Amino acid sequence: MISGISFGQFIPGKSVIHKMDPRVKMVLLIAHIVFIFCTFNFASLALVSAATLAVILLSGISLKMYLKSVRVVLIIVLITSVLNIFYGGGTPIFEWGIIKITLSGIYRAVFVSVRIVLLILVSSCLTFTTSPTDLTDAIERLMSPLKVFHIKVHEIAMMMTIALRFVPTLLEETDKIMSAQKARGADMESGGVIKKVRAMTPVLIPLFVSAFRRAYELAVAMECRCYRGGDGRTRMKTLKMKGLDFASIVAEALLLSGIVLCNIFLTSVI
Amino acid sequence: MSFISAENVRFSYDEENRDVLGGVSLKIEKGEFVALLGHNGCGKSTMAKMLNAMLLPDEGVVYVDKMDTKDEKLTYEIRSNVGLVLQNPDNQLVASIIEEDVAFGPENLGIEPEEIRRRVDESLKAVGMYEYRRHEAHKLSGGQKQRVAIAGILAMRPSCVVFDEPTAMLDPSGREEVMTAIRSLKEKGITIVLITHYMNEAVLADRVIVMDKGKVLVEGTPREVFCEVPLLKRHSLDVPQATELAYKLIGAGVRFTKMPLNAEECVGFLEEVLK
Repeated sequence: MISGISFGQFIPGKSVIHKMDPRVKMVLLIAHIVFIFCTFNFASLALVSAATLAVILLSGISLKMYLKSVRVVLIIVLITSVLNIFYGGGTPIFEWGIIKITLSGIYRAVFVSVRIVLLILVSSCLTFTTSPTDLTDAIERLMSPLKVFHIKVHEIAMMMTIALRFVPTLLEETDKIMSAQKARGADMESGGVIKKVRAMTPVLIPLFVSAFRRAYELAVAMECRCYRGGDGRTRMKTLKMKGLDFASIVAEALLLSGIVLCNIFLTSVI
Repeated sequence: MSFISAENVRFSYDEENRDVLGGVSLKIEKGEFVALLGHNGCGKSTMAKMLNAMLLPDEGVVYVDKMDTKDEKLTYEIRSNVGLVLQNPDNQLVASIIEEDVAFGPENLGIEPEEIRRRVDESLKAVGMYEYRRHEAHKLSGGQKQRVAIAGILAMRPSCVVFDEPTAMLDPSGREEVMTAIRSLKEKGITIVLITHYMNEAVLADRVIVMDKGKVLVEGTPREVFCEVPLLKRHSLDVPQATELAYKLIGAGVRFTKMPLNAEECVGFLEEVLK
């Protein structure tokens, strides 16, 4: 039941997006999200949408997977766009009591929903094409300048690595404990929400106890393997930027200039 | 001086309780395969942690390759020299991807990336897990996970590996896989200390040390030790099945010249007797 959840949603593949340096992917993702929110007219919005679609197609992952991730936020998109319709200024095109709908309100709604969808699409592209270990690795390396401010970058990355490693193990264990408790007559299906949550107590307590025991044993095993924090530690995998990465940075820069030009020469609609 | 030598080691986890180790002395030579036996709570796991400076003796000393484990400057040198493989394969793997987990030890030692790569490939090949190097840890069987854990220790290039009940949580086929891996280490000249409950595993060792109540009860070759059936029984310890059978037959008046340690030997000896 629980083991059906796939965490991180990494889908292995050999596309150009898969081959990109994870650090470059993360930085470009952040840049792209900023660009998505810097579109003020339809031309620039279309430009960003086209770029996002191109990236999605290049990732070689079926559109079905992307639609699945969009479906999760569909309700949020609907609610925010409906709310935005009523928030526009200017002359109303439809009026009924206190409800006023203006053209700018409709534009707002369109922009907000397109932006959210694009945001989800481009972020799922990152998680689909990058393995969780590559992601943590990229985070550790990108955050390493923060060491100056005494932020424990290595420790944060190590915690993420271990968490990712133990998610499947603990899910499996939860399944086992649930079966064990059911075998002793625990009822976990019937009753309302509150009763169901209560019924989880005999699952959660053994799970916590075992998680602590695992943590202790893992600490021993790590010490046996000479772990002593991030100082003086080397890495087997060294990340190196290739032509592909520089090309994608150039492409993103072109997108930026396109958006800037659109915003300067065309009138903003919101 | 022996490769590992423990002299009169005493240890307790807290002040009030009795000593877990009450003056243990043992010597392990380079390249030797030693089995450490004893029933639960006799202090054998505690002893294992003494050998790589995870625990330090309250009294007495432990020397590993002439290094005193109490010397803090040498702790990591000792730990990379004496690897410890624990019981639960799930709780020893740090990274999700096999090869990244194996790289964990050498990464901690600050070794160059190319050298780590070489060591990881070499250690994975040594335990027969090279084809799985890009797999995810949680999808492997218990025996495979334990072999990856062994590879993770091997990647630090230790001269001794201590196994703390490595097969206790495995099914028979996993147990077989791990024992094969352990024997291949022995052939490479790595010193092995194997803590186990399975007498048929202990029989493979060059020397057996039996511990009881924090002390060494008896030590010697497997044949010498398992001949002491009454002594072992008195301390509620098992002997290999074949040995037990022979012991009972001797009690019933059958004359065995030697004690058998495994089924084949037992069959051979019985044939002799029946002639």
